[in-house]
Amino acid sequence: MPPSRARAPAKKSDEDDGSSVRADALQPTLALAKDIWGQLDRGEIPRMRLPLRTKQNLQFQMREGVWKLGRQMGTRSARKLDGALMLLRTFYLVDFINEMAKDKKTSTLRELYYISEAWQEAKFHSEDESNLLIEDLEVMCERLREDFRLHPEENGASVLGDLTIRERNRKGVVKTINCRDDVGDGGYSLPFNVEKGKVDFVKTSAKFVIAIECGGMVDRLAENGFDEQYDAILLHLKGQPARSTRRFLRRVTEELQLPVVVFTDGDPWSFRIYASVAYGAIKTAHLSNYLATPAAEFLGVTASDIENYDLPSDQLSEQDVRALEAELTDPRFATAEWRSEIELMLKNGKKAEQQSLAKYGLNYVTEHYLPEKLAEMGVL
Amino acid sequence: MVPPPTIAQQLAAKQREISVAEFFERNRQILGFDNPQRSLLTTVKEAADNSLDGCEEAGILPEVTVQVSKEGEDRLRVSVEDNGPGILRREIPNVFARLLYGSRFHSNRQARGQQGIGISAAVLYANLTTARPAKIISKVEEEEAAHVLELFLDTQKNQPRIASEDVMLWDRPHGTRIELVLRARYVRGRQSPYDYLRGTAIVNPHARIVLVEPDGTRVTFERATSDLPPPAKETLPHPYGLELGELGYFLKGTKKPTLREFLGKDLQGVSARAVGEVLDRCGLKPGQSPSSVQGEAQERLLKSLHEVSLVAPSSDCLSPIGAMLIKRGLRNVLGDVRPEFYAPPVSRPPKVRGGFPFMVEVGIVYGGALPADQPIQILRFANRVPLLFQQGACAITNAISNLDWRRYGLDQKGGSGIPSGPALILVHVASTKIPFTSEAKEAIAEDPEIDREVTLALQVAARHLRTHLSRRSRRDQAGAKFEIILKILPKLAEKTSHLTGNPVPDLTPVVTRIMDVVHLDATPVTDPAGIRVPVQIVNYTPRARVLELFAEIPPEAMAVAKFDPAPDGTDPGLGRAWWTLPKLTPSGRTQLELRFPPKTDVDASDLDWYVAGVDEAHLLGADPLPGDWDVRLPRTIVEAAEAAAAESAAAGEEEVDYDAAESSASAGEEE
Repeated sequence: MPPSRARAPAKKSDEDDGSSVRADALQPTLALAKDIWGQLDRGEIPRMRLPLRTKQNLQFQMREGVWKLGRQMGTRSARKLDGALMLLRTFYLVDFINEMAKDKKTSTLRELYYISEAWQEAKFHSEDESNLLIEDLEVMCERLREDFRLHPEENGASVLGDLTIRERNRKGVVKTINCRDDVGDGGYSLPFNVEKGKVDFVKTSAKFVIAIECGGMVDRLAENGFDEQYDAILLHLKGQPARSTRRFLRRVTEELQLPVVVFTDGDPWSFRIYASVAYGAIKTAHLSNYLATPAAEFLGVTASDIENYDLPSDQLSEQDVRALEAELTDPRFATAEWRSEIELMLKNGKKAEQQSLAKYGLNYVTEHYLPEKLAEMGVL
Repeated sequence: MVPPPTIAQQLAAKQREISVAEFFERNRQILGFDNPQRSLLTTVKEAADNSLDGCEEAGILPEVTVQVSKEGEDRLRVSVEDNGPGILRREIPNVFARLLYGSRFHSNRQARGQQGIGISAAVLYANLTTARPAKIISKVEEEEAAHVLELFLDTQKNQPRIASEDVMLWDRPHGTRIELVLRARYVRGRQSPYDYLRGTAIVNPHARIVLVEPDGTRVTFERATSDLPPPAKETLPHPYGLELGELGYFLKGTKKPTLREFLGKDLQGVSARAVGEVLDRCGLKPGQSPSSVQGEAQERLLKSLHEVSLVAPSSDCLSPIGAMLIKRGLRNVLGDVRPEFYAPPVSRPPKVRGGFPFMVEVGIVYGGALPADQPIQILRFANRVPLLFQQGACAITNAISNLDWRRYGLDQKGGSGIPSGPALILVHVASTKIPFTSEAKEAIAEDPEIDREVTLALQVAARHLRTHLSRRSRRDQAGAKFEIILKILPKLAEKTSHLTGNPVPDLTPVVTRIMDVVHLDATPVTDPAGIRVPVQIVNYTPRARVLELFAEIPPEAMAVAKFDPAPDGTDPGLGRAWWTLPKLTPSGRTQLELRFPPKTDVDASDLDWYVAGVDEAHLLGADPLPGDWDVRLPRTIVEAAEAAAAESAAAGEEEVDYDAAESSASAGEEE
């Protein structure tokens, strides 16, 4: 059997208990329990098979244009202590989410981490551990964590620009909001669930979306009136973008047919931000055709920008160099353009922040840099 | 007109005797007084070494008390007191306040001090830095009272100057006390008096050493044995180590009337046959007087002595610590570190380099509170004296660095250099002549023969360490497996049963598949009735097992041991006992018991257990029977073991362990 993959998001049920979970959402979790029980009953050492979520197991899906998990499988077996513990945890988790469903409750990822305090030897030692197990469960059950009634506590990005949306809030009231006129300076804040039915697009006059790494740059563009002058939607990524941010970008391109450009610092970590937006992240490669936006383009700051615009720069640290070298073996960056970009950065040994453009004055970024780059990319 | 002085005259005018004070100032570093911290250590070291040497020569169990107290801004008062034989009144001034005066300079045996510089240099340092005399109290057994002298070292004449003298009643039969006030600094830690005395206590387990630190802290290193080391005998010089000048000195000073007698009786290892051969070679006459051998003839004589094959130098002038006492000394001093393992110490047989015998001893300690993430601790000793400085330049350190410790279970970058891990290595080199790198006697010079012996000793001890570590890792694996079957599996069964609404399944088949070992547990219990060792053997494999159990017990302990049930065979001389166990079905178990009377000298947790009838991969808590036991096993056992091994070899390969797969690529990604 080929590895299981998460499919499209769960369809929203008509029943409304404040979450959007389909009725059979938990069925696969019980099937897992049945499988392990059967193994124990037959006297077999209990084990589960999962696709490996590693860089080496990323495969490009030509048709969808995203990177997804390949066919390499790993085994989680009770033969070893770590494996046995993970199996036990899996069923503590399955038990917990089934109990939650009965009580019509939801839980944040952090709350789950604390809930596990009562699981004795099976308790999580860090939130990373619990997040990884939830992703494992998503992969095995072909469900999303929202189906398990688990969600992150922080919200997604903020959006600023002429985009009108309809959001059904926690009380079930539907509100229509224009992301430029009806919001404060902070913009419209994406909820953790941005699925249809929860958030719907009404209309927009915008011609493209510009996704920005740092808040300071979002504020600069807003203050300079960039969104109105160039009909742009500004989206603040807040560093590595949350799932809801990436899902929102995907829907914007799919449903509004808007181009997306990504504007970050010029360093190896920002390259990864772009990769997770455009191609999918390694950890969530099982969700790539749901979260990734293959049409998103990288605007800058590129290694060549640092030279061409003579930007104030910092030396690459040892970690930076290691990150760049790792990117050279990352299949997502295995294109001629990215290779030359990464190699140029390694050669010059320099990185720069996006706000370093202020070297030429506060208006430089909106009057020169962005128009030039956008014209080059054919967006303007 | 007076002619101008010639160059020679000018030089002559400048020439004069160098005073001792100048000599001292210029040689502070090699004498060990180059800074206040080191000066204190050198003072303590010289005084304590003298005390120990004195006690041992007199056959007294040493009690040495070192007290350091503050005496002003940068001054310390140091007193070192012993229960040694005491020093005769007439000798006191020369022993303590005259450089190059000593009893051991010309002796050919192993001793701590030799040159007769040490303690007088400390006295001189105290005189120079604080202008205070050294105070000596000493009492010999034959006299009623102790002599009390205050001494300066006259730096012009290298002669003692007595500042005051008295007698006093001392509440002890004999002993010596020296008190000095000097410019010094007290620091605890590396290269401190504490470090030095601790090291001294380890290799001198017959000594009781007390240190009172300036803040009043009292550290006592109790003695771990009341047996004095056998006194090192003084031996005759061996021709192999003889220099020309020395030979001349001996030829002139001997009381033997003829050369034949001189060669045969004043030197070591020259047999009657060898005497004849030597004399033939150099063409000297057996009957001529030794003092008549002069100049070039001396050279010929020495050359012939070096060419003729002689009996190797004797080693009874050495005073090794011995394997048992190294272990006791380490245990005694490292008790609070609670090491998990003491490798059986290695005491190599004596070897000879040049004309001098030497031998090497090594001890390794592992685990407990020793720091795991740092380079191992190296304790270097030369003739029972700790070496605290110049670690990097020492032959001992080099021998350690040149071994590939990764093979023995320690971390070591690239397989050379000082390994790291929670370990301590003790190396003792004993010799009548140790090649030090410098006069300060801080490091042993590179020497191929010493290097070879140290390496061999290290390898033997390291092999024990490796055995221990591999046993421990198998124990850890067993611990992990027990955790799986005892704690995790029952819960996993309960959870999945609850979620599916099915009854809880019987876990026995899964348990034997996961464990897949025969497990032996032999944890001793000490109670007033003695030491009890219950031995439990459980067959956690999915097949029935026919097994043979073997125990190896030190023969002395085995002689007093009681067995239940009685073994099916024993070899008391080798300390071996064996049992044929009843057939064990999967999950089947059996047990037996050993008992030792109270105070039996046996480490019951360190007995060796061997099991035949199961291969190493399926055995926990015991080892497979070593090949050299030469035991004929019952056919049933051999066949069962072969069948089981074939079966496990046929078992399929495992898929990638999901939880061990590389996932660092995703670090820093996503929410």
